[in-house]
Amino acid sequence: MSSFVHTVTVLDPIGLHARPVGQIVTLVRETGATVTLRSASGSEAAATSALKMLALKVKTGETLEIVVESAGSSEPEALAGEIESLINQG
Amino acid sequence: MELTGIGVGSQAVVGDVFLLETSDAVFEHRKTTHSPDEEASILSTAIATTAATIREESSGGDATTQEILDALLIILEDPELQEMARPHLDEGMDAPTGLFIALDEFAALMGDDEDFQSRVSDLRGIAARISAWTRGIAAGPEIPREGTWIIVAEDLTPLETSQFGESVVGVITELGGPTSHTAIICRALGIPAVVSVKGAMELSQGASVLVDPEGNRVVPGGDLGAATTAISFIPQADSPLITVRANIGSVADAEKASSTSARGVGLFRTEVLYLSANTMPSVDDQAALYTEVLRSAPAGKIIIRTIDAGSDKPVPFFSLEDEENPALGMRGFRLATDYPDFQKSQLQAIQKAIAATGRDVGVMAPMVSTVEEVREFKALCSEAGISQVGIMIETPAIIPVMPDLGGVLDFVSIGTNDLSQYLFAADRMHPKLGSLNNPWQPGLLRSVSAIATEAGKLGIPVGVCGESAANPLISIVFAGLGIDSVSVAPSAVEEVSSALAAVTMDQAQAAADAAIAASTPGEAEAGVRALFA
Repeated sequence: MSSFVHTVTVLDPIGLHARPVGQIVTLVRETGATVTLRSASGSEAAATSALKMLALKVKTGETLEIVVESAGSSEPEALAGEIESLINQG
Repeated sequence: MELTGIGVGSQAVVGDVFLLETSDAVFEHRKTTHSPDEEASILSTAIATTAATIREESSGGDATTQEILDALLIILEDPELQEMARPHLDEGMDAPTGLFIALDEFAALMGDDEDFQSRVSDLRGIAARISAWTRGIAAGPEIPREGTWIIVAEDLTPLETSQFGESVVGVITELGGPTSHTAIICRALGIPAVVSVKGAMELSQGASVLVDPEGNRVVPGGDLGAATTAISFIPQADSPLITVRANIGSVADAEKASSTSARGVGLFRTEVLYLSANTMPSVDDQAALYTEVLRSAPAGKIIIRTIDAGSDKPVPFFSLEDEENPALGMRGFRLATDYPDFQKSQLQAIQKAIAATGRDVGVMAPMVSTVEEVREFKALCSEAGISQVGIMIETPAIIPVMPDLGGVLDFVSIGTNDLSQYLFAADRMHPKLGSLNNPWQPGLLRSVSAIATEAGKLGIPVGVCGESAANPLISIVFAGLGIDSVSVAPSAVEEVSSALAAVTMDQAQAAADAAIAASTPGEAEAGVRALFA
């Protein structure tokens, strides 16, 4: 299965935290796409699990890969872009 | 007997005490007679039902609260959490107990993640609702829709503040500081509050109480006539008694500051420029950014602070290790020892921007505590061709050695937030230590006075760039203490400038004398306020 990978640097001063994580869960559920976040250390979390994403403990300045499975999403690039803007909304 | 705290808002209000306490029966661990599968299904139903109720109750409320609440609900609804609860259900615990233990386990897993730990009590608050629903008991008293109530609680969660209706006219909390969730929400809702009030939970249910935020106090039985009136300053002079500058961190801030009456910039926080840089930027790239900021900044002197990073304010191209105490660790100018090339490149870039724009610029280092560090910074600046060199006064250790800095420094600037935290050994973000970080603390004000005196002897200007100066009364006290300039957020420039244009130097000195003579923060503020009321 092919996937679209988009790398972002987390700029939010408190890292990847509860508020954006909640918004990502809502967005990804709405689209029905399969999205995984992968931290710089290689840990992965399904973007439908708030707990797993928080447990990645991504801090300010660290990179994060947004992996969108192409099969479930018509516009993976746009979705990754939206997720990025939720992560770095400050 | 009046109680003191930290006021939020300026309007006083009288209402009846409504104590918001959660019953212990909600939190206690209980065994069940049901099977683990039955408890698991009770748990998922309870979470879904409570979440739906909370979403319904909070709809139509303010957007910030709703977003926070939604994030918390999404965490509680995560099936992952129910899986973490399952082993405890298998051991015979009931659904709420399993949920509480799962939350504790997850909180332990998150370790010292500050954002998450600050949400744990909110998550437990929602879990308490889930528990109350499951066990068929009241989570806490319902706030009546009729009447005029002053909500009294240890601290408030977003869930609780989201339930405030018209009948809630004021808030008193035992914990929290001027920047806590409760304070921010009350400010947004326009509800007068006094936070960090010791003894608040001993107020009697139903008793009439005066909430007096301007007076930073709560008066049982007090009426509105006893409330402290807000002081309105009417400018008498064309310009403020001492220079008022703006604090900035970006080009956008510089532009915003230019639309105010700020005379220059008293603190340019440069670390913001480096947060997204994975590799150390070149001198030319940095110089281009500084040039843009210097061009956009308001007319007047500009004070640039060199990078103030640390393990709690990480910059990607510094590999910073986690520390036990980031506030007491490798931060500010201390990092220049580990990354001398970066520090040199930053100073070179600043000098290039000065040359390109012709602006009047001073450069200062953060977190300096010894004479050697000052000399080292001065040498680095001289090497880069920077002529106006200063330091932040943030550590108590630098104050007694100030007489040794003659001829080395051109100015100093007091960072009152960090100076308070280090003077009182009290974490700025700690919910229970808000009163030690109160800018009216005599220990802080007398230290500022000593610093102003030493700077006067050295013949160099001394500014204050901490948040305390945004309080108009305190800015007047600073002027009276001999501070030459204050620097505040662009949004506070006008209010502070008006206050400083409304008083004479004699009045400011009288205010300073009153503040310095006081033994407690309450006396200091009351003494100064009495002069202008």
